[in-house]
Amino acid sequence: MLLEVRDLHVEFRTRDGIARAVNGVSYGVDAGETLAVLGESGSGKSVTAQAVMGILDIPPGRITGGEVIFQGRDLLKLKEEERRRVRGAEMAMIFQDALSSLNPVISVGDQLAEMFTVHRGMSRKDARAKAVELMDRVRIPAARERVRQYPHQFSGGMRQRIMIAMALALEPALIIADEPTTALDVTVQAQVMELLAELQRELRMGLILITHDLGVVADVADRIAVMYAGRIVESAPVHDIYKAPAHPYTRGLLDSIPRLDQKGQELYAIKGLPPSLTHIPPGCAFHPRCPLARDVCRTDEPPLYEVSATRGSACHFWRECLNG
Amino acid sequence: MAEPILEVRDLVKHYPLTQGILFRKQIGAVRAVDGVDFALGRGETLGIVGESGCGKSTVAKMLVNLERPTGGSIRYKGEDITRLSGRALKAVRRNIQMVFQDPYTSLNPRMTVGDIIGEPYDIHPEVAPKGDRRRKVQELLDVVGLNPEYVNRYPHQFSGGQRQRIGIARGLALRPEVIVADEPVSALDVSVQAQVVNLMDRLQSEFGLAYVFIAHDLSIVRHISDRVAVMYLGRIVETGTDTEIYEHPTHPYTQALLSAVPVPDPEAREHRERIILTGDVPSPTNIPSGCRFRTRCWKARGTDAETGRWRSTATGRWTDAETGRWRSTATGRGDMAAPRPVYGTRTAVR
Repeated sequence: MLLEVRDLHVEFRTRDGIARAVNGVSYGVDAGETLAVLGESGSGKSVTAQAVMGILDIPPGRITGGEVIFQGRDLLKLKEEERRRVRGAEMAMIFQDALSSLNPVISVGDQLAEMFTVHRGMSRKDARAKAVELMDRVRIPAARERVRQYPHQFSGGMRQRIMIAMALALEPALIIADEPTTALDVTVQAQVMELLAELQRELRMGLILITHDLGVVADVADRIAVMYAGRIVESAPVHDIYKAPAHPYTRGLLDSIPRLDQKGQELYAIKGLPPSLTHIPPGCAFHPRCPLARDVCRTDEPPLYEVSATRGSACHFWRECLNG
Repeated sequence: MAEPILEVRDLVKHYPLTQGILFRKQIGAVRAVDGVDFALGRGETLGIVGESGCGKSTVAKMLVNLERPTGGSIRYKGEDITRLSGRALKAVRRNIQMVFQDPYTSLNPRMTVGDIIGEPYDIHPEVAPKGDRRRKVQELLDVVGLNPEYVNRYPHQFSGGQRQRIGIARGLALRPEVIVADEPVSALDVSVQAQVVNLMDRLQSEFGLAYVFIAHDLSIVRHISDRVAVMYLGRIVETGTDTEIYEHPTHPYTQALLSAVPVPDPEAREHRERIILTGDVPSPTNIPSGCRFRTRCWKARGTDAETGRWRSTATGRWTDAETGRWRSTATGRGDMAAPRPVYGTRTAVR
């Protein structure tokens, strides 16, 4: 396994008390594999990724437990300088908002070249040549001319390509993409996702794709981890989950997608709202919104039950859910 | 279609680009909306889809008179509202209300929910006499599924979905006949989107509302719309009933747009035809000659010919594509296994 997150816990100190953003998350990615982490805002999907990358704001954040094993080492035990060497070179991240992730006053060429001068000790001239090569690779037209331009001179899709180029620069073993196409239009989203999938195949990278879009997940993922209120509620190979979800939350998300045969009817809607992380309900965090909830759900937090060798569900009644 | 309540003809909005400080001269224009026609029937939902920058939000703003069109007409019950002012305009505005995209910035953080929803009554006091307002506001809260006791709370005390309900309640306050909703669910979480779509559906049948529903999420638009218009670079390139547009798209852009939408079914992954468009949308300051889609169109031929606009008299459906282009698809000579376009009896309108 390329990356293994084990029982990760992250808290934030807020004015309203302690927000438990991540409560015992475990997942793994192999080389060449795509894991989709699916969840709504506040589910802890991005915070988990930030903890893995080591870019969590501490304070107010605090990792209170768990391990992040990457290529055999626990990253959480490394010193900051050691982590810096891992970050960028061996694992890289692509963010949602390319415009605010790029420096507006440095040309994109210099920002790309920086990867090589800092991590590889290359000369500025060689690094600049590498930057052009990278821009070609992510199919930015007229790379040689555009390398001198600034982020605002690029369209949203092109900026996201630059982010991808930057992440790929040092050919890392793992890429974490946090909502990489959420800010893009569908036709551009299709271009960017195709590019990302192609480069991943070529370089046999592990990819963690963080998203709330069930469509994107179905298109590219090998495995899915569904998160709710800081926990993984279901984890399974992509085909299994869409065929028959084993957690009522996953089922609710899938059922709320408008389908052809439901035209003119009411959409299925999960009732209520996601919980506040400072006041996560006791027992199963999903119980106030769950159609299957019974007394045991209000008191006992469900473990991740083993549904099959490759599949887990954190629902006391997963059998019932699986059978519809 | 039922008798149209709103009729838009050749609607144009150009924003001038100027140069010089002392002697300003116009050096060009952002052609945000460049000749849009559609009609909206009573109690009907027209979905408008398109990518960012296609002009769909500008159309919305012109419908509620937040922007003055550069040209064309918007007829509400036969009366051109772009020429109205004063009292007559105020009366029309009452009947066409808007729900905005972002429930976080479209509600004033310093006003209570009661004041926000009741504010339209300050402008149109004839709808609710002063003493009656609080009761009316509470009724509206109840209608959109919020606790009527929340009138004194502030927007920050609500979640995104609840805030959008407040925005909808404000839109309903004056009992309008038309609601223009610009991306009403795109800022919301997936599990909450369905709740708001259901609410809008219910309110439509309850109050006989007509919706102009603008969104980029094609599956939600299909669910809620009776008819759909696809916009590209300031123009509607294709319009039809939801089934026509989604099952038998005849414009290459519609085909590409639909094929780019990720399908929530991993089984479909291997055997789906996907049209990946190359390049970006051209700038609206510099619209390509001829068909405006030709720079990204995989069927484009080397002509600059102005596109024909064709109308099917049977369904009122038309497409902006040059006939030759989609006829080749229909005869199976196209380079894509596209669904066959449906032909009606067509007569050229332009």
